[in-house]
Amino acid sequence: MTSDEIAEYFERLREAGARLKKRPSGEVIEVLGTVLERWRDPDSVWRRDLEDRLPAATGFTAPMIREGLRRALADWTGDALRELAIRELGPIDPVGAVSNRSVSGFDTTAVLLAGSIPMPSLLALIAPLALRSPVLAKAASRDPLTPHLVAQSIAEADAELGRCIRVVDFAATDEGCTRALLEADCICATGSDATIATVQSLVRPPRRLVVDGHRLSIAAVVPPASAELRGELAERLAVDIALWDQLGCLSPVAIFAVDPEPAHAAALGEAIAVALAKAEANWPRGSIAANAAHEIAQQRAEAELRRAAGRAVEIHASDATTWTVIVEDGPEPRPAPLHRFIRVVPVPDPAHLLEAIQPLAAHLAAVAIEGFGEQTPGLARTLASLGTSRVCAPGSMQSPPLDWRHAGRGVLAPLARFGDIEAIA
Amino acid sequence: MSADPRRADIDRRVLEWMREPRWSYSEKRFEELALELLAFQFEHCEIYRRFCQGRDQTPGNVKTWRQIPAVPTSALKEVELRCFPAANTVHHFRTSGTSSDVRGTLYLDTLELYEASLLPTFRRFMFPEFLLPEDRAPIRVLAPAPSELTDSSLSHMFGVVLDALGEEGSGFDVENGELLFDRVLTVLVEAAASEVPITLCGTAFAFVHLIDHMSERGVLIGLPPASRIMETGGFKGRSREVPRTELYAELKRVLGIPAERIVNQYGMTELGSQFYDSVICGPSEPRRKLGPPWARVVIVDPETGHEAATGQVGSIVVVDLANTGSVLALRTGDLGRAILDGFEVIGREPGADARGCSIGADEILDRNSQ
Repeated sequence: MTSDEIAEYFERLREAGARLKKRPSGEVIEVLGTVLERWRDPDSVWRRDLEDRLPAATGFTAPMIREGLRRALADWTGDALRELAIRELGPIDPVGAVSNRSVSGFDTTAVLLAGSIPMPSLLALIAPLALRSPVLAKAASRDPLTPHLVAQSIAEADAELGRCIRVVDFAATDEGCTRALLEADCICATGSDATIATVQSLVRPPRRLVVDGHRLSIAAVVPPASAELRGELAERLAVDIALWDQLGCLSPVAIFAVDPEPAHAAALGEAIAVALAKAEANWPRGSIAANAAHEIAQQRAEAELRRAAGRAVEIHASDATTWTVIVEDGPEPRPAPLHRFIRVVPVPDPAHLLEAIQPLAAHLAAVAIEGFGEQTPGLARTLASLGTSRVCAPGSMQSPPLDWRHAGRGVLAPLARFGDIEAIA
Repeated sequence: MSADPRRADIDRRVLEWMREPRWSYSEKRFEELALELLAFQFEHCEIYRRFCQGRDQTPGNVKTWRQIPAVPTSALKEVELRCFPAANTVHHFRTSGTSSDVRGTLYLDTLELYEASLLPTFRRFMFPEFLLPEDRAPIRVLAPAPSELTDSSLSHMFGVVLDALGEEGSGFDVENGELLFDRVLTVLVEAAASEVPITLCGTAFAFVHLIDHMSERGVLIGLPPASRIMETGGFKGRSREVPRTELYAELKRVLGIPAERIVNQYGMTELGSQFYDSVICGPSEPRRKLGPPWARVVIVDPETGHEAATGQVGSIVVVDLANTGSVLALRTGDLGRAILDGFEVIGREPGADARGCSIGADEILDRNSQ
């Protein structure tokens, strides 16, 4: 791949985009809704192809991928896309309709994908097209598969729309190609904060830049007194932790057990350990790098030493590094090695919870809460006001609705150009 | 010497080994001392005893030094590991760290082993040509003197090295936190003119500063061929990172010292002994880290906790007989790989955690506090 080739792709995309703009936006959204429905269907050729080939491309295991996709795509329907468009962009106008508001996409949109979880890539490619903006996407090095399959599925549904999307592969260190890609009129970049900073430094105004840096999630629950209810809650939390091997921004890195009695946090930790062992049997964790295994072993050994020093720390872990539960005795911030490594952190009440998560507030994607009774609405609003863009129930963290305002923004609106037309005599 | 007679006996035997003029890498001798030291530390350090018991690895069932339970060095930030009464502490070293780090502390009731270990090791790997005890060389240190940084094990080490091996004119070139560029450059220019080889020691980042300073002024110095450099430490918490190959290429460009005469030292506050690149003592052999006979490294598979297969990347565990007053087996935070009779330290694998879109909370906290 060369920067000249990227420039040439942009030329072709502009031409295809000009034709696309002549089509009614409602028609384009209908086509994209059909594409989403195909991805929802576990028997579709696209879904099967992705499930077959993603393990080799990403290191995730096939059973985990199947379960992750099943849960995540369940509600991503064509209707959900239509409702999202109406909610964020307003009524879908037929071409030529006179309105006091104009909504359009940019002539070209560049999408820099990151990570290896397929749903964000699917949505990132569909969103600009919903605004009839042609897309040039750079595949993530960790998932060179999903964007190509998504592009093919769009082309199969509608050849003209297929000509409005192109996926390219080049190394993130290739500055020439990166600069060429950033010549798009609108740029959507996902990645580490370092990647985002690099993109921000390279984008030349006037261009729309929509960025998503790294985020994390947590859960905060009141541990149920009943062993049965505790086990049931632990199973849902284990789903949130195990899916995508805890590597998504919606994966909890810590579970705050909000209860004045620390023993209840310990009991919850034990139940989560049982649930994670079960999850490992059903949806095994994928392979991990030596560095990640090293970090898990290091954190386990540190916890062992804290326990040996007399602190009330409990450790539940698999023989290898496949899952780990550390029940801490205080809310000090500690490393999160991920890959199904969870800390259960006791805090006596919601006030201490908010104090403990304050340092993370600006980076919170989702917080799963449960067991707060009448305090639930107030706590949810407080968490949202801290910057959390999603407050949900345990067990649903990996199934965000299509219209979840990731990073507190909309899905389509940040990629749109709005024009308000006032009454003129 | 320790007040505890059993410990004093172990110290005496370890010191004896350290002071022998010729090194012998006796496995049997190491095994015996290591297992004896494990038993002593198990008995005298309650935290370590509980740690071992928690793993069911106690003097009763540990049969080889390779099985000795290793504590993570990072845990010294939170727990005190010592095998002597606190009142007997004569010195302490603190780990370096970024502004957000809690610093770990190593308490010592004697500096005798520490100093006895470092000197022959430095001499062996930096000056293998020295034949006589009185052999000395001009050494400049790009780090603060121990009087300025009393709790730095690195400054202490350099102090001991200068006292024992530094010729007249040797000294420290960091004062009040400032690298004294003019003084360093004057010494280096004089060394180049007089064709007397010089040895430069310091942290990797101090050398980066020196390179930057010389580059900005267009200063290039061709030091005499037998000159050498010892650099140590990483770039954590620094404003920028420079890959070692780039650092060495720049050092050659500005000082004329080739990579074959630049030694990276692998050491840490928590260890009484250090490991050095083999390039000067074994120039025709592959570059690898080597240490003294009384300190050994085992590369551990982090998945199984057992010794890694040859060539496999794993966690670096050091068993160091110089650590008689604390804990002899330490699990470092580094990954490494065995090479012949030594090892190499390898960095974190790029993008190891980049599969998804999450991030470790520690990284975020680290950034927030800076």
